Amino acid sequence: MTNSSPQHRRALKWYPRTWRDRYGADFELFLQDRYGEESLPMSAQLSMARSGTVERLRSGGIVGSTVDPETQVRGASLLVLCAWGVFIVAGLAFAKYTEHWSLATPRIDHWLPSAAMRAVQVAATAGILIVIVAALISLPALVELVRSDGWSELWPLMRPVVVSVTVAGAVSIGIVAWNDHLGPATDTPTGLRIAGVLAGLVVIGALVVTCGTLIAIVYRLRFSPRVTRILGLLAVVMVATLVVIFAGAVTWWISTALHAPWFFGSLVPQSPATPAPLAMIVLCLMMLSGLVLAGIGAVRITLMRSHAGGTAKPSRPRGSTRRSAGSLALRQQMKEGT
Amino acid sequence: MPRTGRQKSLRRVNDPPLLILTSLADGPKHGYALAQDIGEFAGVQLSPGALYGAIARLEERGLIEALPEVERRRPYRLTAAGSAELAEAMRDMRRVVDVGTHRLGLLQGRLA
Repeated sequence: MTNSSPQHRRALKWYPRTWRDRYGADFELFLQDRYGEESLPMSAQLSMARSGTVERLRSGGIVGSTVDPETQVRGASLLVLCAWGVFIVAGLAFAKYTEHWSLATPRIDHWLPSAAMRAVQVAATAGILIVIVAALISLPALVELVRSDGWSELWPLMRPVVVSVTVAGAVSIGIVAWNDHLGPATDTPTGLRIAGVLAGLVVIGALVVTCGTLIAIVYRLRFSPRVTRILGLLAVVMVATLVVIFAGAVTWWISTALHAPWFFGSLVPQSPATPAPLAMIVLCLMMLSGLVLAGIGAVRITLMRSHAGGTAKPSRPRGSTRRSAGSLALRQQMKEGT
Repeated sequence: MPRTGRQKSLRRVNDPPLLILTSLADGPKHGYALAQDIGEFAGVQLSPGALYGAIARLEERGLIEALPEVERRRPYRLTAAGSAELAEAMRDMRRVVDVGTHRLGLLQGRLA
C-alpha cells in the first residue's frame, strides 16, 4: 500500500473499481511523486474527474468497444433508461403546462393538437409498460442477486433512493395540500411558487438518485444473453416511443401557436402572446437531449446486434492494430479515452 | 510580434498516446518518469488523468505492456505492435514536415 494523502485517494474514487485495481496503486505513487504532500491543483483534479468519468463510461459499456458485447448492450439500454428519466421530468412539466389547453382554444382548431396530445399520452403509456416489462424480465436476476449477495449488501445502495423518494413524496403532498387549501380563485402566492420550484428540484433529485441506483444495481445483475438481447430490443422500442412523444409535443406546440397563441399568454382569446414561450423551449430542449442519449443507446444496441446476430465481439480485441489506417486512426482512437 | 497561446499551440505535438509511445521508444519507464521525459522532449506537461487514461488505452490495445514493479512503481515498455504503430506515426508526421519544409522553402525563395 502507498502512503498517499487522503485527497489522492479521494480523487481516485472517480475511477471504476476494476480500473483502480489495475492502476490505482501505481497512480497514487505517481501523484505522490509529482505533487508530494501538496494539495492537488484544480487542473489535475479536473483531469482526473474527466478521465475517471470516461473510464466509468467505458467499463459500463456506454462508450468505446473494449468491454464484452453484453455489457455494451446493457450500458446502451441503461442510456435509454436515463433518457426515459429525462422524458419523465419533461413530460410531467409538459402535462402540467398544457393542462386545460382545450378549454382555452376554440373547438374548431382542436383536431391536430388533440391528435398530437393523444399520441403523446399513448406513447408515454407505452413507455411505462416497456419499463414494467423490463423490470419483470430483470426480476429473476434481482432475486438471484439478493440471494447471493444478501439484502445487507444492497441496502446501502437502496437507502438514498428510499430517503430521496420519501422526501420528494412528502414535499409534493405538502405543495398539493397548500395549493388546494388556497382554492382555485386565489392568485398563487410567491411563497408557493418558490416552494413549487424547490419541490420540483427535489423530485428531479430523487429521479436522478433513483436512476443512478438502478444503474448500479443493473450492473450487478447477471443476465443470460437472451435476457440481455430482449432488454436491448425493449430499449430500441422505447426510443421509438420517445420519438413519438417528442414529435407529438412539438406538433402540439406548433399547431397551438398557429391557431391559439393566446394560450401561451394571458389565456384570453385573441390577446397577443409569444408563440415561443420559455417553458416550451426548455421542455423541448430537455426532450431533445433525452432523445440524443436514447439515440446513442439505440445505435449502439443496433450495431451490437448487427455484429453476428447479437453475439458480436468487441470491435478491437487486445493486441490488434490497424496498420492500414495509420497513426491518425491511432491518435483518434486514443483521444476517445484520454 | 508577441506570441499568443494559439500560435504557441501550433508548434506543439500534444497527443498523449503518441508522446507516451515516443518516450518509451528508448526504454521502459514508469508513470512519473514518462511525464518528466515528455515534459523535457516535448515541453508538454501531461495531466494525471490524460497520462493514465492514455496508458490504459495503449495497454488495452497491446501497444505497451507493464513490467514487474520496481520500487513499487510499475514500468511500461513498448511492444512490437507499439513500435510498429509509432514508426507509422513518425512516417506520417515526416511527410507533413517534409511538405511543410519544402513549401516554406519555396515561399522564402520567392520572397527573397
